[in-house]
Amino acid sequence: MSINHLILRNLKKNLKNYYLYVFALIFSVSLYFAFVTLQYDPSMNEAKGSVKGAAAIKTAAILLIAIVSIFLLYANQLFMKRRSKEIGLFQLIGMTKGGIFRLLSAENFILYFSSLLIGIFIGFSSSKLMMMILFKFMGLETSTTLQFSEEAFIQTLIVFCAIYLLIMLMNYLFIKRQTILSLFRVISSTENKVRKISVFEIVFGAMGIVLILTGYYISSKLFDGDFTTMSELFIAMSFILGSVIIGTYLFYKGSVTFITNIIRKKKGGYLNINEVLSLSSIMFRMKSNALLLTIITTVSALAIGLLSLCYISYFSAEKSAEKNVPSHFSLTTTEDAEQFKAALKAEDIAYREKRINVIQVNANVAEIMDTKLKELNFDPNNMTLPVISDQSVKDLNLSKDETLFTGYNDIVEKIMSLKGSGQIELKGQRESISQKYKGLEKEFILPYNFTHGGLPVVIVDETTFRHLKNDINPKIQLESSLYIGIDIKDKGKIEEANNIFQDMTISKHPTNLSRLEMSNNQKQVMGLTMFIVGFLGLTFLVTSGCILYFKQMDESEDEKPNYTVLRKLGFTQGDLLKGIQAKQLFNFGIPLVIGLVHSYFAVKSGWFLFGTELWTPMIVVMIIYTSLYSIFGLLSVLYYKKVIKEAL
Amino acid sequence: MRILEATKIYKSYGNKFNKQEVLKGIDISVAEGEFVSIMGASGSGKTTLLNVLSSIDQVSHGTIHIDGKEMTGMKEKQLAEFRKNHLGFIFQEYNLLDTLTVKENILLPLSITKVSKKEADQKFKEVAIELGIYDLKDKYPNEISGGQKQRTSAARSFIHQPSIIFADEPTGALDSKSASDLLNKLSELNQKRRATIMMVTHDPVAAGYCSRVIFIKDGQIYTQLNKGEETRQAFFNDIMKTQAVLGGVQNEH
Repeated sequence: MSINHLILRNLKKNLKNYYLYVFALIFSVSLYFAFVTLQYDPSMNEAKGSVKGAAAIKTAAILLIAIVSIFLLYANQLFMKRRSKEIGLFQLIGMTKGGIFRLLSAENFILYFSSLLIGIFIGFSSSKLMMMILFKFMGLETSTTLQFSEEAFIQTLIVFCAIYLLIMLMNYLFIKRQTILSLFRVISSTENKVRKISVFEIVFGAMGIVLILTGYYISSKLFDGDFTTMSELFIAMSFILGSVIIGTYLFYKGSVTFITNIIRKKKGGYLNINEVLSLSSIMFRMKSNALLLTIITTVSALAIGLLSLCYISYFSAEKSAEKNVPSHFSLTTTEDAEQFKAALKAEDIAYREKRINVIQVNANVAEIMDTKLKELNFDPNNMTLPVISDQSVKDLNLSKDETLFTGYNDIVEKIMSLKGSGQIELKGQRESISQKYKGLEKEFILPYNFTHGGLPVVIVDETTFRHLKNDINPKIQLESSLYIGIDIKDKGKIEEANNIFQDMTISKHPTNLSRLEMSNNQKQVMGLTMFIVGFLGLTFLVTSGCILYFKQMDESEDEKPNYTVLRKLGFTQGDLLKGIQAKQLFNFGIPLVIGLVHSYFAVKSGWFLFGTELWTPMIVVMIIYTSLYSIFGLLSVLYYKKVIKEAL
Repeated sequence: MRILEATKIYKSYGNKFNKQEVLKGIDISVAEGEFVSIMGASGSGKTTLLNVLSSIDQVSHGTIHIDGKEMTGMKEKQLAEFRKNHLGFIFQEYNLLDTLTVKENILLPLSITKVSKKEADQKFKEVAIELGIYDLKDKYPNEISGGQKQRTSAARSFIHQPSIIFADEPTGALDSKSASDLLNKLSELNQKRRATIMMVTHDPVAAGYCSRVIFIKDGQIYTQLNKGEETRQAFFNDIMKTQAVLGGVQNEH
């Protein structure tokens, strides 16, 4: 048998065992290639809007490479350990270390580079699909063409060759460091032995749970006004992050062992087959993989969290645009409005017009301010707020000394909340008017350019308004004191009207706004982010799923003698498989559930900054993630099935 | 009463063109309460015989009855059911589950048969005290010695009171002191509980503890020795003599 023959034989055997590795490799190569193709694609930059698509995708590609290279190196390390016996045997029959290295390199070369080529091919053929998905997310309609980008091809080759060299270097070091004896022993020395539960573990275990719960508790209090300065907020956030991550680590290191041990103690030694296979094995194995599991849990929590937030933002793009621009179109000068109206009439689009006079007034709102936040860059004694007359608002009549606030942005409200009632003071140029504050309404009346980005609008009685207008402070007035809102009567024609608006020069003026355009812009930004985070998350999911699967493969080989014993004792394959299913439910379920709960609390604490709808987007993301993740659990059960079948 | 009755068992490996016959028509019968040992040189087929008799491997021809039930031709599920109720095993490599304590390991066969927890505890206590491992019940296998492991393994095979216990080289990995301890315990249990034990060994000392020794050579029964009223020493000498005749390569071709 020649060396070449040996290489082929090994390849065949490995392909059977590591089809998932090959799959993950092909998947990541094709994703990378598709990303790079997008990056070099001319239509990406033609995509209208202010979004710098190419730059964002470039960053994503770098992150992708980071994930993929860590995965490949880690997987390679696992394989080397598994094959250490084989390597020892080669050495025993007189092969030199250099020879073995060449053998492994050649083997890897074939496996790696054929996957690379397949990956590039798939990436090439799917890049159009990817681009279509991206444009769909971003709400753009640009025709896409299938182009083979040489730059992308070369870049992909270079990057993956570099990773290949890194893997080879690792293998070289591994082989070089080993003696024949230690190669034979490596498997037994890596798995830690069964030990008694120490007091430390109990303490660690309890501490892990406490830390995680503390983190959750603080995260739910984060924006409740308990943390009043920016630095306090920052400290609180760092604390949450730290305590949850350390807590997760301790949870795997101690709590799992601790909890399973309590359950076992209760059983008094009388375990049924499910418990034998699941509890006892998880109890000892989870501990040795604590670091790995912590990383997987944290990163998946991050991916789920980010994805949920992006989706929330995307999902509520229309609603938040409505808050920012209350009418379909918002203009600030009569000339622009006349021009636009003429254009609408020419196209026979019916509309409604609304004109509101807005003045900016400094107000003293210190008394109704319900916050301790000190480090904001404004003075509650002298806050510039937009003021309108109660006649501009339908069905509202205030008395002379009454004031109503309306349309307070959620984010701003969280930072500086207002009391239900109190006295405020509106300051003109010469004199101030004292007013009774009646409360805060939900409705948004003015676009964000009048409200300084989200401050409430002050509504006062017509007489008070006139009084204030005569006593105006010219320094703080905006360019325009007139808001003209135009609503299109027929909702189906909004898009047409928007096209007319965009084609006119008035749309270039920053205070002339279109709600549709705004919501589309947000969708574009969030769509792109979602696309990138989504695919990065998917890559991470695939790679971490693979790693857990490989770990399970290893474990099943280790436990094979146990299955032999159990089957000899008279347990059927079905009995064992049931136990294995329970075990895998924990093995894959615990990291998943913890990741999901982490991301739930993360999203819960700050979701209102991103949009208006929490549950639907978050649950959709979580369900997708869970179902993809479960595939790996199922695959591992199938592998176990094979091992159990062979065990007798 | 006959516990085990095997007639004309043949076992061959390989395919039509490259066939290797390991068992060539063996007849064995074991009565209740007997302590039988099977001896033979390496490759004589004794482990295959044990595997076939204990339903782990299938015969090519022949029939095996245990406790009056025919085992040959049973389906995998029925076999598992059968092993669970009628058979006990002791192996050379102990085959304890590392992740379970001594007590959990011993109680394993009972967990399949749905015995109540109280009854299980009672049974465990009896057998563990008899084998002298009751104090070790909360230890893990890697914390105890080889002899203790093997006694744990023995306790596991006795606890559900099987019709017959198969032991494959139970003393193979033990030092002589632990080995004789174990064999003493086994023969005690054999007498006290009237447990039927079939043991494969190539240690003549171990075989000396049995009531009957069957010698196998090249897949056939070569001879049998009955202890009868002999002392263990005399029986041991007989075994040694037979082994001397049996052993060695024949140079006649």
